[in-house]
Amino acid sequence: MIEVRDASFSYDGAASALDHVSLCVAPGERVVLLGTNGSGKSTLSRLLNGSLAPTSGSVRVDGRADGLARLVGYVRQDPRNQIVSSVVLDEVAFGPRNIGLSREEVFAHADEALSACGIMELRDRATSELSGGQQQLVALAGVLAMRPRYLVLDEVGAHLDAAARGRVSEIVERLVASGVGVLEIAHDPLALFGAARAIVLDAGRVAWQGSPQELLTSDEARSLAGFGEDVVARFVGVAVQRGLALGARPDPRAVASYLAREDVCCGGQYLITPHFRPFLTSKVALVRGPHFCLKDISLDLGGLTLVLGPSGSGKTTLARLLAGVMEPDAGEIVLDGRPVRAGGVGLAFQRPGDQLFCETVYDDIAYGLRAQGASERRVEAAVCAAAARLGVEERLFGRSPFDLSGGQMRRVALAGVVACNPGAYVFDEPTAGLDGASRAELRRLICDLAESGAPVVLVTHDAGEWLEDATSVVFLRDGAVVQQAEARVASESPELFSAAGLEAPFMVRLRSELVRGEEHA
Amino acid sequence: MLSPRIPGAYAPGSTLLHRLDPRAKLVMLLVATVATFAVSPPWGLLVMAAGLAAALVASKTSPATVLMCLRPAALILALSVASNAIVLVGQPGFSPEGLVRGVLVVCRIALVVGFALSFSSTTPPPAIADGLAALLAPLRRVGVPVGAVAMSASVALRFIPLTAEEVDRIRCAQRARGARLDEGGPLRRLRGWGQVLVPLVVGLFRRADELASAMVDRCYAGEQTALLGPLAPRDLVAIIVAVAWTVVAVLL
Repeated sequence: MIEVRDASFSYDGAASALDHVSLCVAPGERVVLLGTNGSGKSTLSRLLNGSLAPTSGSVRVDGRADGLARLVGYVRQDPRNQIVSSVVLDEVAFGPRNIGLSREEVFAHADEALSACGIMELRDRATSELSGGQQQLVALAGVLAMRPRYLVLDEVGAHLDAAARGRVSEIVERLVASGVGVLEIAHDPLALFGAARAIVLDAGRVAWQGSPQELLTSDEARSLAGFGEDVVARFVGVAVQRGLALGARPDPRAVASYLAREDVCCGGQYLITPHFRPFLTSKVALVRGPHFCLKDISLDLGGLTLVLGPSGSGKTTLARLLAGVMEPDAGEIVLDGRPVRAGGVGLAFQRPGDQLFCETVYDDIAYGLRAQGASERRVEAAVCAAAARLGVEERLFGRSPFDLSGGQMRRVALAGVVACNPGAYVFDEPTAGLDGASRAELRRLICDLAESGAPVVLVTHDAGEWLEDATSVVFLRDGAVVQQAEARVASESPELFSAAGLEAPFMVRLRSELVRGEEHA
Repeated sequence: MLSPRIPGAYAPGSTLLHRLDPRAKLVMLLVATVATFAVSPPWGLLVMAAGLAAALVASKTSPATVLMCLRPAALILALSVASNAIVLVGQPGFSPEGLVRGVLVVCRIALVVGFALSFSSTTPPPAIADGLAALLAPLRRVGVPVGAVAMSASVALRFIPLTAEEVDRIRCAQRARGARLDEGGPLRRLRGWGQVLVPLVVGLFRRADELASAMVDRCYAGEQTALLGPLAPRDLVAIIVAVAWTVVAVLL
């Protein structure tokens, strides 16, 4: 049993990151921990594995207060920050090698963990050549190889697509059945299926706890958990209110049997009419690189376009082509009749730190405009307008962008892109790892940009949350376009996803069940 | 996935050199490197060149890769040959002996690069670290933290592809904001690289912090179970052959 009693923690001695938190996790149960970014979830998980000690109160695992790292395994959100070694077997053996086991025992532990995660065939591969999903399985195996009695999963699905997420939760389900106690930090309401309890942290305190069913049906708990604008949480909540019992796994059919089609399809849906100008047109015949090859990509993109595909399908390459930072070997990208050049299309990445480099926030936002040779007067006006639009306060202008919090950094990075007023925008995985509120904020900005008439292209593994806003969806597979579909059609057609080698998001399967149910009736 | 292959980086395979123990390969590399600078031309050098040819064949490495590895140093090598061949002091003119001397040094460097390449492309970084730890083990008695040294080597090698990927992404983001990194004179281009360095270094430091705490989470404390078993007879034979070969080369 993990027992946290009245634990508080403060990083600087003044503001407390955790404030008199008490909770417990028993062997063989999975508890979901929810809360917005900065609510203290990660601090709590670091108390549980002993890498931080509480300033007051106590943390005990099976009655012990020290040596917690051996009892509680900790899997991080981004596997790239956890993987120590460049070869899979060596990575998985890393933990067991640290605890004084013999050579034979180390290999036995590692092989057992690899087969528990179903990745025996990756044993001798290089970790850097694996896809994100495979890397996360390797990270999990590395933790399991130490045979922990408890696991803390810190948003392990944030960077994964639906199929990889499903694989991870299957493994976790088996571990729980074998008696491992799991505390899962999540931003995804689907994690509530099969969970024993849910706990919501807010500003370092336990703000709510109860069963997953209760959480989904309580408006207050839902918004505390950051699910205020989450459609999946809303509709599953409606189904639970009408009598659905949450099963062990997300089951769209069961949920659909408690819903009518009107419930799902008219939820304040925002669809842009498909008549825009200008278009971002791709006439790419061929791009070839050491690890990728795209062929015959002919697309007309207007409004908000989602680009979906399994890892290695060429999504990132296409995003770079469309943004003009990479040139095709044959063919061209055209925006409003003119070929696209670097700087003509705004490009934003998942991690804002990648695109900030000036000494002050002001210089950073102004960078693109100055590079275009704009006068200082125009620069100042544009910087102030972009900062206001993104909610960057003027008092931050003199600060270094690297001193800011994650959310502020993201706003500055986006303000730098918006300030140049490019003719089109490309976003590469913009929401991975963000909480509900930040997602909603970004979503409003992106819809706002699309509504103002600029083509917006969004590369994502999380199609579910964008389908309601999108105009069209491009499915890529093995460097070719499988299909370009209207988003309204794609949002009800799981078969389009499977044709591209993807698992359809929960909402898509739910809608398709409802459509089918109606046709039967 | 987007990371470009760096010449000399480990390439998975099952050649003879892939299967040898990293400790044996490290000893052979050390012996070959010392011998390459100790042998006298032309016969000793030719025997070493034959040794390199054997190593390249045994690891299925193409000689073109060796040239690719030398390319970054090409200018310096060419200058050193030229400065040996052209005499400016005393009686200015062209010195054939100097040219031969310069060319021979370049040949020796090329040989060493070739040996190192056939080692690094057939040995995964963690095995290099393990081998290093095993060979340095005696130093533990005089207080050298051998485990930590080997671990840092392994982590550094793991970060090379990550850093390459990161540089690529940062450059992309900056070009998309209108930065012209590949244009202008050398000074402007150098400044452009400075811009890449700021976010790169900040990002790497953050990642290093994360990685350190991830290692502590998995009970890392400095010393680890050695994964290398006893040397196989095959490895002993390989070492003996390599030593015999270099002794012959040095004696010629």
